[in-house]
Amino acid sequence: MLVRFWGTRGSLPVAPHADVALAKVARALVAAGGRRFADEAEAAKFARAELDFATYGAFGGATPCVEIEADEDAFAICDMGSGLRDFGLSATRRCAEGHPRVYHFFLSHLHWDHIMGFPFFRPAYETGARIVIHTGHADAEAALRRQQEAISFPVPFDELKAHIEFIVHRPEESFEAAGMEVSLVRQSHARGSFGYRFDRPGKAVVYSTDAEHKPEDMDLEEDVEAFFANADLVICDTMYSLGEAVSLKQDLGHSSNVVAVDLCHSAGARRLALFHHEPSYSDADIQRMHEETLRYEEAVRGERPRLEVLCAYDGLEVSL
Amino acid sequence: MDWRLRNDGDRLVASPTGRVDEDSWKAFSTHLTAAVRDAVAAKAPLVIDLSGLEYMTSKGLRALTMAKNEARGQVAIRLAAPNETMRRILSISRYDMLFPVVDDVDQAG
Repeated sequence: MLVRFWGTRGSLPVAPHADVALAKVARALVAAGGRRFADEAEAAKFARAELDFATYGAFGGATPCVEIEADEDAFAICDMGSGLRDFGLSATRRCAEGHPRVYHFFLSHLHWDHIMGFPFFRPAYETGARIVIHTGHADAEAALRRQQEAISFPVPFDELKAHIEFIVHRPEESFEAAGMEVSLVRQSHARGSFGYRFDRPGKAVVYSTDAEHKPEDMDLEEDVEAFFANADLVICDTMYSLGEAVSLKQDLGHSSNVVAVDLCHSAGARRLALFHHEPSYSDADIQRMHEETLRYEEAVRGERPRLEVLCAYDGLEVSL
Repeated sequence: MDWRLRNDGDRLVASPTGRVDEDSWKAFSTHLTAAVRDAVAAKAPLVIDLSGLEYMTSKGLRALTMAKNEARGQVAIRLAAPNETMRRILSISRYDMLFPVVDDVDQAG
């Protein structure tokens, strides 16, 4: 299985202003200390080796969209955030090389940041493409149609050329899709969200975003741990610090890096991907959150094996 | 995790020892809630002496939040004497912005 992150930011797409790029270039030049490079490839090698990710790279600003490559016969995509546009372009190229034009979507919920990419999803405009939208929400079709009403978008939903079908699933009832066994679980979020678990023989990925783990509901977390059990990768909402999540940001439906680590530890998961980054965070803020999460994981690991903690960014690929 | 609660003049001092993790958080939370009720009844601040704690996971931290909610502002809850690991956890979780943290139990008032 291969997991590709096309959008990792929460709530709202963001893009850096010009001064952000300037600061990164300036920091890199200072770090280079006057040394000369034969070409851009050599300079890039220096940047990767000597600079931190927040300087030579960027976490990106597209909202949630994650591809899980498990089957040659169909694409599998979690959520339709603004990262879906780039996935659609990539998929079009891959289909031109022979990939079947079959797309299975798995929607966590219907908030705008998780569906806003669909009107810009190029395969939706292609005759012969088949799009299957798996959801736990009975009103998913209404949400997608509504965002393409004339007041919001120039192309109505009914003018899309692809064959589009919606399948509403009940939680805890697994099903087969895109070459995987898929199960879903209800999560705490405004109007509810759903986490998905994707299993193939010997491999498992969990996509759990927009999920709040409240202090008063800690008794229920054994169910979450069972859902995460022994996963090779858990993609987890880590939008806020725990302190924020239980105070200023309580009831907004999001989780924290430290709760994500604890759930993965208890579940025996192997890797955690920090996800749904707060839109006001700079690259340096997200990198700091990642570093703090690594320190926390080490502090509370006890006798367990190390949990690998990744920080998702737009463009990250994780091979399982 | 072991727990001890003592009256210390005009305050209550709770001393958990060991680890607060997925195995022990319920006992920690039960003791903590009872201690908050005692502190409210006595109109005395509650000091949690962290010096005997190896570490606390998010379950313990969230138990602190429930204790704070239980106190409803009627009594202060202060954290004292965290070891280096606990201090790091309080900082990473930003709980050092939700609770007063002092180096020494005697400083906790």
